[in-house]
Amino acid sequence: MTFQIILLVALVAASAVAILAKDLLKSAIALAVASLILGIIFFRMGAPYAGVFEISVVAGLITVLFMLTIALTKQGGDVRESKTVKIVFPLFFIVFALIDIFVMRGILARIPALEGAAEAGTFGEVLWKERSFDLVGQLAVILAGVFAVLALFRKRDHHDN
Amino acid sequence: MIINEWVVYLLFAGAMFFLGLYCLLTMRNLIKLFIGIEIVGKGVSLVLLSTGWARRSIFLAQSLVVTYIVIEVCLVAVALAVIINLYRVNQSLDIRSLTRLKG
Repeated sequence: MTFQIILLVALVAASAVAILAKDLLKSAIALAVASLILGIIFFRMGAPYAGVFEISVVAGLITVLFMLTIALTKQGGDVRESKTVKIVFPLFFIVFALIDIFVMRGILARIPALEGAAEAGTFGEVLWKERSFDLVGQLAVILAGVFAVLALFRKRDHHDN
Repeated sequence: MIINEWVVYLLFAGAMFFLGLYCLLTMRNLIKLFIGIEIVGKGVSLVLLSTGWARRSIFLAQSLVVTYIVIEVCLVAVALAVIINLYRVNQSLDIRSLTRLKG
């Protein structure tokens, strides 16, 4: 559990760097590091498939997409953020952490028994048999995403001009 | 014992959620705002998986997280395409320039 807590602290730290870094490229790389740490946490929790997806897709593919966007929008990329954002951040974070700890201790007192029965079968059986309708939804979402990107980057016809 | 560890996960997931929300409320760069959304999503998937782990139904939680990741990729692709098109129109990534859009 100690190692897991170290990983969780590193996850929050990488996310904070992703938010507060001035350079967008550094933010994107910090986001990739956060996904990598989250993937390792998933592995250690006993969820290898979610970990593999998190590392390969989120840390790999999404980072590439972010970097492409940053490269394509380089000239307008330096938007001036207000200066108080970084100064006020530690204060807000400490206040939130205190509230968070207080609320979570309340949850701990409220929920005495959360033990469920151990699951039977394998991940594949659960995914393909119990949640097979989710896969239809996933396919629909992927198709919708492809068509949306195609529509957004459609070339203008000549008679439109 | 396992409930204690579950609460630790929830605590850190709450911190992730706070970070993303803070970014969404205070930043002005469109790409930064989207990074905030991603961080909120990471917090949510951590909650899903840790709850499944605490209830000993890790396979179900895993399939939900995989579904979420697939949807996240589509969301990122579409949103970044929208951001590039907005940049072409406005020549800026500032969220305040969107208030000029009319009609």
